[in-house]
Amino acid sequence: MIEKSQDPSPASLPLAQRVPTGIPGLDEMLHGGFLSQTANLIEGAPGCGKTTLGMQFIRYGALHGEPGIILTFEQFPAQYYRDAASFGWDFRALERAGVLQVIMSSPEVSKADLESFNGKIEDLVARIGAKRILIDSLTHFERISQDPMKLRSLVYGFLNSLKRAGLTAILTRESATLLGDEVGPTGSANFSFMTDSYIMLRYVEIESAIQRAIIALKMRGSAHDTYIRQFEINSTGFHVQEPFAGREGLMSGTPQQMTRSFIKAFINR
Amino acid sequence: MSTENLTSRVFNDMDPALLSFIKKYVTSFVKWDLLHFFHQNPHTIDTVENIARYAGRAPDTVQRELAQLARSGLLESSQMGEMVIYALTSSPQIQTNLAQFVAASQDKQFRIRATYHVIRDMCRH
Repeated sequence: MIEKSQDPSPASLPLAQRVPTGIPGLDEMLHGGFLSQTANLIEGAPGCGKTTLGMQFIRYGALHGEPGIILTFEQFPAQYYRDAASFGWDFRALERAGVLQVIMSSPEVSKADLESFNGKIEDLVARIGAKRILIDSLTHFERISQDPMKLRSLVYGFLNSLKRAGLTAILTRESATLLGDEVGPTGSANFSFMTDSYIMLRYVEIESAIQRAIIALKMRGSAHDTYIRQFEINSTGFHVQEPFAGREGLMSGTPQQMTRSFIKAFINR
Repeated sequence: MSTENLTSRVFNDMDPALLSFIKKYVTSFVKWDLLHFFHQNPHTIDTVENIARYAGRAPDTVQRELAQLARSGLLESSQMGEMVIYALTSSPQIQTNLAQFVAASQDKQFRIRATYHVIRDMCRH
């Protein structure tokens, strides 16, 4: 019989089973990092930092004994080299050292390749000993099929093939709105329930200035921080900061101070 | 100057390894563009349609040229279900030769000589 005290709480899983992102503040939010061999969705508006977060995750692994792959759909590898260089990260040098590879392909080919015997991506995973992968972005799967059931099956198959290859994955997805609640077209894809964790990046307007917010909405098999935190991207990369204090309605994109909403709710009724 | 003399002058100035590379792989301007594309994006694994889109060329044209590059060994092709997938060869020697060709292409004089050869080859076929 297993005693209750022997059953480890998810948050206390040994760090060896965690895959740290190396992003200041994010690993604390995730209680040490993502769980190994999981698929992790990062969703946010264009330009809010999804790819930067993913590149930083890959770079940290490459420098700490966990080689990685960036699988890009549409965006040319040269763009990643340039973006990385703007943070002082030399991705070409990491490629030469055999700890990183930027692959350009399409969703349909990647999926077929990962599901085939001796596929090129699997071969590359084995050759460099890859443990991490950035899929940029999952949004491109949506052009393969308009049928939600077929799309779900395609994405499930793809995520499972990543796990079979022993990879811990970050998958980016672009959300349709810059600020406020997501208002997608009817039937638009929702991948969040298929992935093991779901992190949302948001722009929020506070006192006529745009700030950036991050929240971990889901982390299957683990506890996680539930605060909505600020983050910034500076010359050294992505940094998660303190929770927004004294604000509410952040996910609407236009938060208000708690006192104001209190007055609105209880006094100006 | 006779055509023969001009040809001789154009090719005698060229590195024999590069000349051999051009004669074997760069037999059209579409191939020239595709070689640059695969050099810049060496880990591309994709279909004719997508490669044509990335390269800004018509799929029909690109299909023929990709098939020829695969037959000559510069690319690898594989069948995946109904899709034919192309990727750059994993041969380090050919990749090195490709890198030398792309580096040499930065030089205007080399480009003029290489262009002359491509046109001559296209006329021949």
